[in-house]
Amino acid sequence: MKRSCLLIMTISLPLLLCGQVMALHSGPYIGMAIGGNALMNARSSDDLGDFGLTFNPALQGSAVLGWDFEPGNPVGEGRVELEYTRRSNRLDHVKFVEGSFNGSGKVVADSLLFNCFGVFHNDSRWAPYAGLGVGAVRIEASELKVNGQPMGNGTDVVFAYQFGGGIDFAISDHLNLDLGYRFFSSIRPAFSEANGRKFEMEYINHSALLGLRVGF
Amino acid sequence: MINLLWSGFIFLVLLSGCGWNGTPTRNNDFIPVTSIEISAISSTIAANTSTRLSVKGNFSGQFTRDITDQVVWSSDAPTVAGFVIGAVPSRVTGIAPGSATLTATTGGVSATYTLTVSSATLSKLTISPADPFIAKGLGTQFTVSGDFSDSTTQDMTFDATWASSASGVATVSNDAVNKCFLQTLAVGTSTITATFAINGVSDSTLLTVTAPSIRSIELSPTNPSVLTLNTRSFKATGTYSDGSTADITSRVTWNSSNTVTATIAGNGTATTLAQGTTAISATLDGVSQTTNLKTTGGNLTAITLTAAGTTPVGSNITLASGTNIRMTATGLFNNGSTRDISGVVLWSTANPNLATVTLPAGNMIFLNAKAATPATTVTVKSGSGSVTATATLTVTATTLLSIAISPVNLNMTAGTTDRVKVSGSFDDGTTQDLTASDGTMLASSNTSFASVGNSSTELANKGRVGGITTGLATINANYGNLSAPVPASVNVTAPTVVNLAISPATPTVATGNMIQFTATATFSNGTSQIVTEDTVWTIDNPNIAILADSLNQPGQVVGVDGGTATLTASFLGLTPSPSVTIIVTP
Repeated sequence: MKRSCLLIMTISLPLLLCGQVMALHSGPYIGMAIGGNALMNARSSDDLGDFGLTFNPALQGSAVLGWDFEPGNPVGEGRVELEYTRRSNRLDHVKFVEGSFNGSGKVVADSLLFNCFGVFHNDSRWAPYAGLGVGAVRIEASELKVNGQPMGNGTDVVFAYQFGGGIDFAISDHLNLDLGYRFFSSIRPAFSEANGRKFEMEYINHSALLGLRVGF
Repeated sequence: MINLLWSGFIFLVLLSGCGWNGTPTRNNDFIPVTSIEISAISSTIAANTSTRLSVKGNFSGQFTRDITDQVVWSSDAPTVAGFVIGAVPSRVTGIAPGSATLTATTGGVSATYTLTVSSATLSKLTISPADPFIAKGLGTQFTVSGDFSDSTTQDMTFDATWASSASGVATVSNDAVNKCFLQTLAVGTSTITATFAINGVSDSTLLTVTAPSIRSIELSPTNPSVLTLNTRSFKATGTYSDGSTADITSRVTWNSSNTVTATIAGNGTATTLAQGTTAISATLDGVSQTTNLKTTGGNLTAITLTAAGTTPVGSNITLASGTNIRMTATGLFNNGSTRDISGVVLWSTANPNLATVTLPAGNMIFLNAKAATPATTVTVKSGSGSVTATATLTVTATTLLSIAISPVNLNMTAGTTDRVKVSGSFDDGTTQDLTASDGTMLASSNTSFASVGNSSTELANKGRVGGITTGLATINANYGNLSAPVPASVNVTAPTVVNLAISPATPTVATGNMIQFTATATFSNGTSQIVTEDTVWTIDNPNIAILADSLNQPGQVVGVDGGTATLTASFLGLTPSPSVTIIVTP
């Protein structure tokens, strides 16, 4: 998991080091994106101690509704948007004092974030961007099991945030291709264990996505 | 620039977001236990004795774990064997000869164990350890083994009653949880006895509690940075087995791992020789502690000698017989820094009958001319002797014609000081500063208003005039039968200090170099005065910067290592004391 994290970081960071351009579009837009995400090893805690959850990478999908600021806007060049994303990752294994055990079940995160991205325009069709978003996420732990034995279930809605960057490619005045990276995290959601205890789980996610935005 | 800031920020976020790789502290209790197994040291115990049972759980064949504390116990024959010790539920006691089936249950899973209770009787107890020596403050677990009439042996630690003959020396617990845990309290001896109450069989052993043994050593300062050619004293504090602490600086064995960088004496004083790092360790009775000593400021490559008021570097010095002059040795280091090293080099003269060197304190050095001679040499060398410098001194047999004191008017504020200088004119037409010479005598006409330093043992203060309180005084100077024709008039006033300013306000100095600070006081009458010598200077972090010589060079600071330190100036109780941040570049 650490290797995939570092790979995403390595791929994404150079995208933030590009130069300035002009905006091709201003006004409202809608868009969709698909990509892959890696949910990091999660420290989970209850009153008996800490244990680790490891998840499989998975696909994710997003839909956005936003507004491109016109070039020279006093607010800055960029865009604001409302983003809905679904991430679903299967539990791979669980680590206790006694060792590592097979896991099953999944953790599904439905997030709704308000994003602000600054776009760095230059003379080409390529425009790098970076920004952040805040909002809420509904995280569901669904039928989590360890070696086939019930471990936990539950749903929690918590504050969430993300940092992201990427590069836009202007296909036309109203059509943009978006290759991006997102670091997404939340405060720790709480779920119920099979034995009735409550446990809290870290949620840290890295994702790479390919999106298409249509401006009006 | 904005792009780079964004990149750096996000990179930091990502670094913190690579997931958890820690060590779990929680047991897996999601997988059910499917079987359990009971074990004991012996399946047979004598009546009126006990043994502890252990239970190991098998969790669906995935792993096993000791779950002794999680089971519920029962006996099918409680008149033979029962769980009667509430504080230790897993300890079973033989009540009467016979056999009993013991059952442990957890999570719907059970296991049984057959325990036989014999009619054997205890014949002998043997305590272990025998006649032990234990340092004061330490605790230890004693055990006692029992020999029975059927030739079996059994651990009787729990079933015996323990006692200490001198409870002030050591106590021994009869508590069910800490049975026979012995705690030493004072130096001395105590007889520890274990008795089996049923038949009175007992054993005893003589415990000797020795002086506290050292458990750990703490060194101070920790990881200091020190300029080359300096000394730093380390202190070792020992913590003993009884919890006490003591200064053991002189008892430990000191060692430097890199004696090229620094050596350390038996009293804990390290002498820094060359730039680098060395591990300073202190060891006592097999216990040791180490801290790193970083030596900074470059390696000495040359020394320049300077006589006060004369041209430096290899110049000839001429002094009248019976007079003296202040000398300074300035070191040039291979990192480009220069600093006053007068107080850390070795001074000597070729012929002590002709000239001597006085080292009052710190960086103050005086060269004394004893007898007229065509020429003699003054030599200084570094501690290792690898770098030297020499000056030539000619002592003349001239006759002093007159002396004069300057300045002749001093306007001072009470609580501050200033200086007067005594100059002598000789028959060969030369003049010389005689202020610090032995023959010069200074006196105040009214010591209630103003004082003047005149001690030959405190040369740093000779000629220093102190304002005591509002009033007028004169400072007179004599040398032999000569007197200064015009004394110095001192007018002392007593306004209140309202402000103190430090300059420079934004100082930067390179490691190994010196920087001079000046303190200027503003008084309630609108006047201002430089009070650098009267100010108490302090620095909060000696690993970054130090005062060069608080006695002789007030306000002068030397950079020790890269970083920032705060220099604070205190003057006549003014609060708050002003301070500046010194930036020391590596």
